[in-house]
Amino acid sequence: MAWITKPSATTKISKRDEPYLTEAMREELTGKILPRYETKHGALLPALHMIQHAYGWVPHQAMLEIAGVLELPPAEVLDTASFYEEYWLRPKGKHTVAVCRSIACEFCGQPEITQAVMKHLGIEVGETTDDDEFTLVELECLGACGGAPAVLIDETLHEFVKPGDIAGLLDEAKKAGGHH
Amino acid sequence: MDSFVRRRRPGVGLEKRTQSMADRRLFTENMGGRGILTQRIPTKPFGDLKDRHIVGYDEYVKTGGYEGLRKALTIAPDDITESVKKSVLRGRGGAGFPTGVKWTFLPKVEEGQVPGVDGFHRYLAINADESEPGTFKDRLLMDFDPHLMLEGIAICCYACRLDRAYIYIRGEYHHQAHVLEQAIAEAYEHGIFGEKGLINSDANTAGQRFQVDCYVHRGAGAYICGEETGLLESLEGKRGWPRIKPPFPAVKGLFGKPTVINNVETLCHLPSIIENGHEWFCKQGVESTVGGPPSFGTKLIGVSGHVNDPGVFELELGIPLRTLVEEYCGGMRGGKKYKAAIAGGVSMGVLGTDQYEAELDFDIGRKYNVLGLGTACPTVFDEDTDMVAVARNVARFFKHESCGQCTPCREGSGWLYQLLCRIEEGDGKTKDLDLALEVATSMGSMPGTTICGLADGNNWSLRTIMNKFRDEFEDRVERSFVPVKMTVGAAAKD
Repeated sequence: MAWITKPSATTKISKRDEPYLTEAMREELTGKILPRYETKHGALLPALHMIQHAYGWVPHQAMLEIAGVLELPPAEVLDTASFYEEYWLRPKGKHTVAVCRSIACEFCGQPEITQAVMKHLGIEVGETTDDDEFTLVELECLGACGGAPAVLIDETLHEFVKPGDIAGLLDEAKKAGGHH
Repeated sequence: MDSFVRRRRPGVGLEKRTQSMADRRLFTENMGGRGILTQRIPTKPFGDLKDRHIVGYDEYVKTGGYEGLRKALTIAPDDITESVKKSVLRGRGGAGFPTGVKWTFLPKVEEGQVPGVDGFHRYLAINADESEPGTFKDRLLMDFDPHLMLEGIAICCYACRLDRAYIYIRGEYHHQAHVLEQAIAEAYEHGIFGEKGLINSDANTAGQRFQVDCYVHRGAGAYICGEETGLLESLEGKRGWPRIKPPFPAVKGLFGKPTVINNVETLCHLPSIIENGHEWFCKQGVESTVGGPPSFGTKLIGVSGHVNDPGVFELELGIPLRTLVEEYCGGMRGGKKYKAAIAGGVSMGVLGTDQYEAELDFDIGRKYNVLGLGTACPTVFDEDTDMVAVARNVARFFKHESCGQCTPCREGSGWLYQLLCRIEEGDGKTKDLDLALEVATSMGSMPGTTICGLADGNNWSLRTIMNKFRDEFEDRVERSFVPVKMTVGAAAKD
């Protein structure tokens, strides 16, 4: 939840030599994104999206790097990043399976879909498979109520999903590869 | 078309609506079996969904696109605002606030000031953060006909002298964001946006020359960013905490500058209003029957839940729920009976079993004891649905999406969810029902105790479910008796 905070004063930030924010990303950020906003702070969401898309999560080191480019206190970056659900502050699997659990989906068969994914992958909601391939989450409304139950696998939306379709959809995602 | 000309009695508006289903059909048939917003998107029952495709710039122009903008550029900006005001186009994002009136709240551009020059900015924020359960109508427009929205944006920017437009699209809409990016690139190329924009030089009269830029800004999975000031905070790169109003966004909005915030569907109505005139727009839809402002125009209505043929339909406002379900959605799934429907996005509350005839227009709130029309996207439930589970699902949604800024909402939504879980599992007592309602009321009931309306939505949705299906809740809980020494009347119901 967005507003649960943790004592982070003692948290050690693990660092690697190679920066997360690559030269190309820096260039896109300063050349293309920054001029769109009146303040540098405005470019924070796109910057975080960039990292999330490339690595599948937003490491603390990346946040420090973003803070450097946007001239913000690192705490402000963490403040924003921790608020939004789409930014993962811990590593997750290569693929994300997001099952919609909102009103239309739940009453059109979502519980069976979640069960099917859990059974197929052998994990609970919120967990990642041992081979780091899949992370299963349940989200609120994906905006596909007319196609309930809906499942978002990485960036592809699947509508009218049946429990029997799950194995095929997951295989498909595995073949397509890639983070987001 | 004659059957659509209804006599207007300003200020009274109590004209009884007698429009039959046949008349309603006539409208759609006069449109050549096409909608207004969905004229390029095949929509049931007038088109085959298989024919849906992304309409690019060339196809858009070939089918009459950007004509509204061309016409708008020949009209003075204030006259466009006046025309939109006269059309009584009400915001399609849920609140139903008249769009033209909203525009007039903007401060005037002073002599010598040019938006976009010397740090003088005026903004348009497009709310494409469609994320309330049940609502999925804007997706259709962004999926297939992005230029319609861009044309609306251009018209709005011209009319209100706004130099930058940000499309705030929810993070989960990956495909739609790509479609929009591509369409915007095309629009830049063809003289809509940018330095050589607004169809090149047409707007370049008497010092009115200014350029409009349009960007996509992706959200990151927070429902609260659909609240207008939460959206602005998110655009500024901060957590999406709604702001205290006043100042209102029209005066001090994005980055402290005048800002208009409109929904996608609202903007998509602009090209046809400008092209055909506000009189044309006012012929569609219905007058209010309770003395409120009218509900003119067509509306995208997304039906989900236990119906045979769910989906988005473009229909005139005022269509009864029964007609919608039985004639457009192929009836209830499996021949079951209708039980309840979420009025339009969960925060609006539910329509009960005896409210199947409810007309979907902006009067619905006053007539059927729900919060309002919302986004007009009913989720329909059949007779087998457990309403306690529905309430629990709704409570979980609000608990999950409460931003945590105001205590009543942050704490209340959590407690409500716990209470409803307890009731659903059969561990509740009768007094828990009253407690739940009390907690809900203390969170908000217009005007509430919180900065934004999320708590009010939470209160209204649970209150209507629990009041309209009280029996079901009472059957689920253990009776608890409170001895009293006097006879009391029935508990007050609203």
